[in-house]
Amino acid sequence: MIDRSRIGYATEPTTVRVDGWRVKLFCQAIGEIDEMHWNPAAARAAGHPACPLPPTFLKALEGEHLSTAELLKVLDVPLRGVLHAEQSFEYLAPVHAGEEVEIGRTVTDIYDKKDGALTFVVVDTRYSVGSQPAARSRQTIVVRNRLPAA
Amino acid sequence: MTAEQEFPRRLELECGPVTAVDLALFAAASGDHNPLHLDVDAARAAGFDRPIVHGMLTMAYAARLFTEALGAGSVRALETRFTGAARLGETVRLTADLAKVEGGVGHYTLGARTAGGTELATGTARVARGLRG
Repeated sequence: MIDRSRIGYATEPTTVRVDGWRVKLFCQAIGEIDEMHWNPAAARAAGHPACPLPPTFLKALEGEHLSTAELLKVLDVPLRGVLHAEQSFEYLAPVHAGEEVEIGRTVTDIYDKKDGALTFVVVDTRYSVGSQPAARSRQTIVVRNRLPAA
Repeated sequence: MTAEQEFPRRLELECGPVTAVDLALFAAASGDHNPLHLDVDAARAAGFDRPIVHGMLTMAYAARLFTEALGAGSVRALETRFTGAARLGETVRLTADLAKVEGGVGHYTLGARTAGGTELATGTARVARGLRG
């Protein structure tokens, strides 16, 4: 049982710099071969001011602020029964390698399903660059409370 | 050109088979080091017969569907519901179908399945052509 008083728990926003090398590694991991993501000249040739991020890279960046695994520790949830149930992103302005992104996360809901066999934790994240909103995301985590012992 | 012609009716992408190296690389690149994706014993303890593919890797593949067809910066919103888990060694097949075009934005429904047909994720996306003004 996760303490419902944790609904509303919010992190103090911190600023994370987008490391171009990390973006390149991420591209390698997801099979993204368009070099505009790591080669500034290729990005400029395509009309971007700097290297644009692959859309879901914000989730990796978020981990530099406070990863979901760290957040679950704060909520006293063991990782073993946890799965990622849903994820959404809304992109409001482009983010590029080299920029500083301010990130803050908030636990917006915790609720049970299936007579308490499953608990869902909803976490909203805000990303901004230079005080302008750049993106919003929502992650829903499912905790399987009755997973048989290993 | 009509709005419908500006957006492909259907997009498809096949990724994998996803190897242990792919999962290790994604763990390092994404910062998600949950052993469920890397270690057989941890996967078994979580109720799976072998390590499973990160949902966020499937979602990253889904984003590639759009950035490869419409360019980096084209994705305005992306939403996925992870309804199944791909296991180490499986291939992830992604599809997106154009539902409507509104105000220059293409609305797609998304699907991800293994080569064997097991559903992995469903979702939606909103995409626009060209760079954001």
